[in-house]
Amino acid sequence: MNKLVWSAAAMAVAGSGAFAQGANVPDNLEKLSNFQQTGVTEFTFIEQDGDYADGIRETLKKITLPSGFKIDLYAVVPDARHMAVGPQGVVTFVGTRKDKVWSVTDRNKDRVADEVKDFAPSLQFSIPNGPCFSADGFLYIAEQNRVLLFPAAEFFYESPDVAAFNLVAQGDLIPPEEESFNHTARVCDIGPDGMIYISLGQPFNVAPPDKLALYDKVGIGGIIRMNTDGTGREVYTYGVRNSVGHDFHPETGELWWTDNQVDGMGDDTPPGEINRQVAAGQHFGHPWYGGGSVRTADYEGEEVPVEVVMPIVETVAHAADLGMTFYTGSMFPEQYKNAIFSAQHGSWNRTEPIGARVMVTMIDEEGNASIEPFAEGWLDENGEYLGRPVDVKQLRDGSLLVSDDLAGAIYRIWYEG
Amino acid sequence: MVRRLIPYLMVLLLGGLMLAGTAAYAQDRDAGRKVAGMCRTCHGLDGYAKIPIAPHIGGEPASYLAAQLQAFRSGVRKHEMMSVVAASLSDAQIDNVAAWYAGHAVAATVTEGEAPAACTACHGADGMSQAEDVPNLAGETNIYIDTQLKAFKRGKRRHEVMSDIAGRLDDTEIRMIADYYAAIEIEITQVD
Repeated sequence: MNKLVWSAAAMAVAGSGAFAQGANVPDNLEKLSNFQQTGVTEFTFIEQDGDYADGIRETLKKITLPSGFKIDLYAVVPDARHMAVGPQGVVTFVGTRKDKVWSVTDRNKDRVADEVKDFAPSLQFSIPNGPCFSADGFLYIAEQNRVLLFPAAEFFYESPDVAAFNLVAQGDLIPPEEESFNHTARVCDIGPDGMIYISLGQPFNVAPPDKLALYDKVGIGGIIRMNTDGTGREVYTYGVRNSVGHDFHPETGELWWTDNQVDGMGDDTPPGEINRQVAAGQHFGHPWYGGGSVRTADYEGEEVPVEVVMPIVETVAHAADLGMTFYTGSMFPEQYKNAIFSAQHGSWNRTEPIGARVMVTMIDEEGNASIEPFAEGWLDENGEYLGRPVDVKQLRDGSLLVSDDLAGAIYRIWYEG
Repeated sequence: MVRRLIPYLMVLLLGGLMLAGTAAYAQDRDAGRKVAGMCRTCHGLDGYAKIPIAPHIGGEPASYLAAQLQAFRSGVRKHEMMSVVAASLSDAQIDNVAAWYAGHAVAATVTEGEAPAACTACHGADGMSQAEDVPNLAGETNIYIDTQLKAFKRGKRRHEVMSDIAGRLDDTEIRMIADYYAAIEIEITQVD
């Protein structure tokens, strides 16, 4: 039928050898024929030089950072959302809220990308916002209503036809009638337990009562997890409004995640959140709480029927905390070890806009966390956004990548001392 | 469903101005521009969207824009962000901001594909509105169009024409239509 199926079949044969090590590929090859084929077998390349890149570099001159840190353009990547850095350091995959996943390669290792092209152009994606890697090189891409798995993606991405498997088939992530476009930017990560964790935002400002039972069952307004062969799916986190960033603490293995809180209650309420989860099944308060301990108007006065975990960090209201990562590198000063770097996308309905910056959260020995700006300047004096950071990831050298879906770019932040 | 081939590189400058001219006679575009401060982070001041989930609204018929804002305000149409925004708007603000966005000029350039016959009578082969109360589709993110067609199909959004048309489309046809209109390039020129 087409090259994709052929290469997938070849992969299945090969899969018993080199590529299957340490990972469980779902046994669903027949479903490959259901993938939407676009017939496109040529890459789209994104120009990395010229006026557009120069304009972004001009903006970056306005960005302020703590002493000793530098920022520069790493790559021009249209609609850049969440990122997954390849475990071999070859390529970084970047999701979008449209229909493309970009592969970003720094071939000459000068810490600036040389090549940006679309990944798997023969596949039809829908909101492929969330790529994530397993340690052994399997790339997962969480879409609106599907999760695909690409074995050895760091090797095979050079070809337009790549082997693709369903981890979660189209229509099985959530009931299709619950699909939406907003609050549908999924993120994923592989936990220390080897399971894949996937965020599922709920599509309302405040989830209505008649949806709660279904949402709790499916994990909408939550974070789900499953084995990497697609079995053992369960809801790990309840009471989430729309989480678009999470990471596992490098020492404790706990899942920490950001959450975007309720709109329309005023400029300064409710707070945004960073949450720390210590056990499966914990509930974090939505829809009874709109953010922190602030009750929603919709559920005002109602008794909260669940035990609720409050956020470990309250962030400024409406700033839209998105991607986050724990810092485990050796490049930055010691004080940043295990600190959280996170992106604030910036508010959309606050009288005075706020956000559009990279934040750092320090956690002391007693577990108390405090957040402060780390890189800022994308919001100009007229209240206009010059960029909107989405995600933060660490390169192997300990520098950080920051994605920006307004500028369509990835920045690199490094420490020179 | 998809029949008609349209010429390559058909360029049409359609009446964002013309349609708005008829609909916006009594509205105050300067006042609308101030209201648009609430809209610009997502839709841009010129109506060219800055995020994928938001449609381009520059040069769209004022009647369509006003009707959607009223629908969000009344709860007939629901959206996590738009329901919050529209709830705070008065009738005059809705009319004024609709006039502001309708008054911009939009041009569409078709480069590839076959126009979907089910859509062209109202939305044009170039994705530009052919009647009042009909949105432009040109250059919208494919997932936005896909989402709206599925909303009509599943009854989350209702319209006397669209509910029926979308109800007869399967998901593959919906995506083909969405991809066709999304591929059309648009240019919006802000008219102050």
